[in-house]
Amino acid sequence: MDKLNSVLVIGAGVGGMKASLDLAEAGFKVYLCDRSSAIGGTLIRVDKWFPDNHCGLCQMLPVFSADNSSRFCLRRGLTHPDIELMPLTEVKEVAGQAGDFRIGVTSRAAGVIPELCISCGLCTEVCPVETASEFNEGLSPRKAIYTVHPGILPYVYTVDWDSCTKCGACVAKCPTQAIRLREMEMIKQLRVGAVILATGFEKFDPALASQYGYQRYPNVLTGIELERIISPGGPTDGDLLRPSDNRTPKSIAFLQCVGSRDNRKDYCSSVCCMFALKEATLLKQANPEIDIHIFYMDIRAFGKDHYRYYQRARDELGIKFIRGRVPVIREDSPTKNLVLTTIEENEASIKRQFELVVLSVGQTPPPRFQELCQVLGVELNRWGFCRSGLFSPVNTTREGIYVCGSASAPKDIADTMVEAGAAADRASGWLERRMISTTLSEKTVESAAEKEETPRLSVLLCDCGQEISSVLDLEELAESSRQLPDITCVMRIPFLCDDDVWVKVDQELRKHKVNRLVIGACSHYFNIHLAKLGFNSSSAQIVNLREHIAWVHRDNRQAATDKAKNLLAMAVELVRALEPEPVPPMSIHPVALVIGGGLAGLMAALSLTHHGIEVHLVEKSAGLGGNLKQVYYALEGDDPQVFREDIINQVKTNRLIHVVLETELVKTEGYAGNFVVSLKANKSSLYFLEVGAIIVASGGEEYRPTEYLYGQNKNIVTQRELERKLFSAELDLKNMGSVVMIQCVGSREKERPYCSRLCCSWALKNALRLKEGNPEIEVTVLYRDMTSYGFQEEYYTQAREKGIIFVRYGLDGKPEVRQEEERLVVEVAEPVLGGRLVLESDLVVLSPAIIPPENTPLARALGVDLNEDGFFQEAEMKFRPVDFLTDGIYVCGLAHSPRGMGESIAQAQAAAQRAVSLLTRGSLVSGIAVSETIQRQCSQCELCITVCPYTARMKDVESGQVVVQGALCRGCGACVVACPGGAVKLIGFKDRQVFSLIDAAF
Amino acid sequence: MSSSAILPVGDGGILEAVRVFLGSLWQKKLIDVLLVPLELPSGGNVVPAIVSDPSKLKMANPLAPIMPLNSARQVSAITRASPSAERLGVVLRPCEMRALIELVKLKQVSLENLLLIGIDCLGTYSAGDYGRFAQEVKSPASDFLRKFQEGKEDPLLRKACQICEYPVPMNADLVIGLLGTDLNNSILLKAGTVAGERIIGELGLKKSDAENREAAITKMVSEKAERRERLFAQVRKDVRGLEKLMATLATCVNCHNCKTACPLCYCQECFFDSSVFQFEAEKYLGWAQRRGALRMPTDTLLFHLTRLNHMVISCVGCGLCTEACPNNIPVADIFRLVGDKVQKDFEYVPGKSLEEELPLTTFREEELPNIGT
Repeated sequence: MDKLNSVLVIGAGVGGMKASLDLAEAGFKVYLCDRSSAIGGTLIRVDKWFPDNHCGLCQMLPVFSADNSSRFCLRRGLTHPDIELMPLTEVKEVAGQAGDFRIGVTSRAAGVIPELCISCGLCTEVCPVETASEFNEGLSPRKAIYTVHPGILPYVYTVDWDSCTKCGACVAKCPTQAIRLREMEMIKQLRVGAVILATGFEKFDPALASQYGYQRYPNVLTGIELERIISPGGPTDGDLLRPSDNRTPKSIAFLQCVGSRDNRKDYCSSVCCMFALKEATLLKQANPEIDIHIFYMDIRAFGKDHYRYYQRARDELGIKFIRGRVPVIREDSPTKNLVLTTIEENEASIKRQFELVVLSVGQTPPPRFQELCQVLGVELNRWGFCRSGLFSPVNTTREGIYVCGSASAPKDIADTMVEAGAAADRASGWLERRMISTTLSEKTVESAAEKEETPRLSVLLCDCGQEISSVLDLEELAESSRQLPDITCVMRIPFLCDDDVWVKVDQELRKHKVNRLVIGACSHYFNIHLAKLGFNSSSAQIVNLREHIAWVHRDNRQAATDKAKNLLAMAVELVRALEPEPVPPMSIHPVALVIGGGLAGLMAALSLTHHGIEVHLVEKSAGLGGNLKQVYYALEGDDPQVFREDIINQVKTNRLIHVVLETELVKTEGYAGNFVVSLKANKSSLYFLEVGAIIVASGGEEYRPTEYLYGQNKNIVTQRELERKLFSAELDLKNMGSVVMIQCVGSREKERPYCSRLCCSWALKNALRLKEGNPEIEVTVLYRDMTSYGFQEEYYTQAREKGIIFVRYGLDGKPEVRQEEERLVVEVAEPVLGGRLVLESDLVVLSPAIIPPENTPLARALGVDLNEDGFFQEAEMKFRPVDFLTDGIYVCGLAHSPRGMGESIAQAQAAAQRAVSLLTRGSLVSGIAVSETIQRQCSQCELCITVCPYTARMKDVESGQVVVQGALCRGCGACVVACPGGAVKLIGFKDRQVFSLIDAAF
Repeated sequence: MSSSAILPVGDGGILEAVRVFLGSLWQKKLIDVLLVPLELPSGGNVVPAIVSDPSKLKMANPLAPIMPLNSARQVSAITRASPSAERLGVVLRPCEMRALIELVKLKQVSLENLLLIGIDCLGTYSAGDYGRFAQEVKSPASDFLRKFQEGKEDPLLRKACQICEYPVPMNADLVIGLLGTDLNNSILLKAGTVAGERIIGELGLKKSDAENREAAITKMVSEKAERRERLFAQVRKDVRGLEKLMATLATCVNCHNCKTACPLCYCQECFFDSSVFQFEAEKYLGWAQRRGALRMPTDTLLFHLTRLNHMVISCVGCGLCTEACPNNIPVADIFRLVGDKVQKDFEYVPGKSLEEELPLTTFREEELPNIGT
């Protein structure tokens, strides 16, 4: 049976969007459904994210065949011809099996027919019902007929059936009869090859933690509520005002772990530390005078660059960190301030008053998640999240159904993005790959040739019901448009967003042999219609008459009409001067190079072969397995050695994988799809390979401690050494009295200001194993912040229950290890009692940092960047976590940053997905806006090559000319700016075009 | 690389000492050809020339206070298409040397097989002034140096030279040092690179400790910097704001001489000479119609702003643009003033180091935080 090429993604939050975009870019059909009426999930309520205080959501947009997709802010909407959005939709039934699921979904009617709605907003104006706005976390009202958030595109309205009284006022007012106040459910059957579960999380309801007085005290907020308050689109337009008296608070307290790490929720929500740090940082940057305290148990800043962010917040911005859980909040009723009494480490009880308290609420599974998982036939874990495996992080318990993001465990955006890529990789294994050459951009290139004749223009003017025509004099506009050069026909259309009118438009355009088009309408996404008619974004220009003119100049009809005339004239000049120059497609060499034969490299190689890609797996050392060779146990109980043998065996027996040992990459030439890499095997000469994509999985190393007498006493070992000794049973556990473990050896220090992420769980794993071997052993863990994030928290709890003692130390009071005759003594300041703790120890175990190997030669050979710590620097920390800025090169595993086994595997699969998406294309077609070089004017200063962020420009060795690989060019225009000689042009924006356009404006 | 040697000044004077030194480079087979200013037979001017016959050195005069063109551009003409196959020595003033370094970064000069000989610059005259001066005196070079030694202000110095704070060449293999020496007895030969040091060794010259050099340089630089600030204040007053700038540039005839004189304007074909700026009659008439009057030629302001935009970060302040202007527009003053600000903002000194990347080719996440605030 032929495989299907479609996939269902459940949940249109950030994870679902990423998985969908990755799959669509790779040429699959995606159904993206969400229970709510809009995409974006939790993230649209958050403006900026750690650790860079940027948004960057648009970085998710496809890199290849980019013109297929809408290119605007993803908060507003997502349009891709291969992604079918299914709002208000739930999965009700799943039959069949992996490769051929039959899925029954029900979609609730929105109450407004999107094809008829012209977004005039009259319905909202007349609606008498007011309810709380979800978008603003209930901090501002909305009507029962509304748009989910103010920026959404298209601006289609939705009825909230729960609050709608069906009074009919809106129906009477609607000028296009778009409203149907009948609750209806449509049942639909989908056939898909695989399913991705990306349902995200629900925030813990802080009302359940009644000691904090949430909802009783107006000035106690959740983190997301605060986020809305400081958002320019929020209830106070971005002014920080506290609810009780609309005054800017002078002091704010953040309370961490609300609904996490307690008896009810015995897991860490992983993101709240960073979320609170981010809120506090933004607040401090905007209002340095506000006093901010964060009450925490451990600061878990374990992601890439997170620790630096924490340091900045603490040391540069002066945010105060108090260790301790706040037992209760009381309100000082006259001032509505909040009184916090804390028992701090020195056991002193301190009372503090704050004008605002923010609860960092944890992540919980979304409502009715269990029900959904039952329908899907996938199991939950004991915390109610979807069960996944350590070595198969995005697999559920049912074949063909994959999970990503917080649906399987609390996660931040960066980790969710990685898993979304991995889930896309796994899911696409069940799908039939369609040749991407049938998608839109190919067609537009074909049709561009037809336009190499004299320009024949048409102007389409949309009335948008009355929305445009009530402000602009469309007759006058039509008349002035007819006077413009090369115009063959001008059409007025009542609703251009009505799909049916395009048939008539097509006929008219054909009749007049129109080859350039100017549309005066709205922000509606017309590209799919235009592509069908053979136009692309450079041969058709859209002037937004509605949002840019009619809606903002309602009070001045004449000025508005004049502005519209100018904008239309400019657009006409732009398309008129267009010289279509089809750029030939670029062929792609469907072979991949994987650098590194450790866990990430092996998993990436295997993933690639699942898609039929030939792989050269290059390893520097003499054997495969990397660091995995020395991992004998997993905290979660799985057996890493069995897994290692299994995957090495799979790699060795796979005919598509060529393993090359003792070999290094020394040089890379070429570009995505067509690299030539130079490899050097030990002591032998160079040889060359042609590959289309490169995955960097070159790994990391354990830091070799120079502190704590390491290397001077055989009883001072690293966690890794201890693990080997435990495995080989060479330790006499029965006669062992005490063991001291020291965390953060070489991590989170001045030289290495990052958290190594693994060491806390490693210490827990070994400590528990020691206790298992002999419960009498006294194990003491000296730590700075226990970073047992996610479900690892369970083992931290277990460890404490088993009598393992945890003692915190600070950088100012680091432990001291001494050798006193035959004994080892560890001395450390005791924070609770204030004294010095002297521990005699049979064994001192150090938890050393994960450090990058000397990556500079490899980075240079690849032409990619390293970060400050020496790890490889990805294109964008959150939304493009495995890409480099250079297309065709991807990164995973410890080469990227310290991470656990499961996390490395997910990243390897995500990297493989990106490579597969490129390599299975056959050829790559360039976008519409592509730069070119006028050789006569080129002085070969190569400034354009230097500034090109996409390696699309290069000097041709044979001709000595500076040339462009059109398929890699994204049309950013940096080269045009850099060239002083005007030798660089951007197709669609040539000098003459732009001059004419400017001219038409005045 | 601080080794310095003495070039003795004999009866023939400084110029002879320099010629002897240049000649010794041939004798020791250290160079094959030399780019050096030669006196014209008429004596009224000096032009750069490629010398292949050492006997022609009797006309060499790198000391005469005249720089008719910036020779960095000539080095580019020689080496741009392919590196010099022969060992080519080039004698350059500091501003020429700095322009050369900028052109190397812009891949318009190849340093392969080049020996960079810099010479301390005490300033130069306009071509016309120099011509008259050369007629009046017997030996323009020695007379000029005498004037300098007497320490008097030299009103004939070009404005660009009066405010130039880079009298000493940077990045040269060898520097012919005039500052801080007793010009009647000796001048200095200072090595700037390993190659230069080796040459000093091979020439078997007497070492020098160059003890007065630093102080003399510091004094000269501080005087010039003071004068520069005074000029900047004046220029700011004269050209700041669109109206004043347009008034300053009003007499521009669009001859593009400034572009031709500029050592850094390296484009093979200037964008402003391309057909993009040739419009149909209807355009000109249409613009005139709309505005009532259209200044001709058009696009002169855009030309200067574009040149400023492209070149100011690398401007070495040689001032030849002003020299080239038929209508005495103070182009160089504007470039120096704007350049000073831009270069400071990017912490960039044009021609200082080959290692420093051109600011506009680099990207830093946190950059220019003061802009726009």
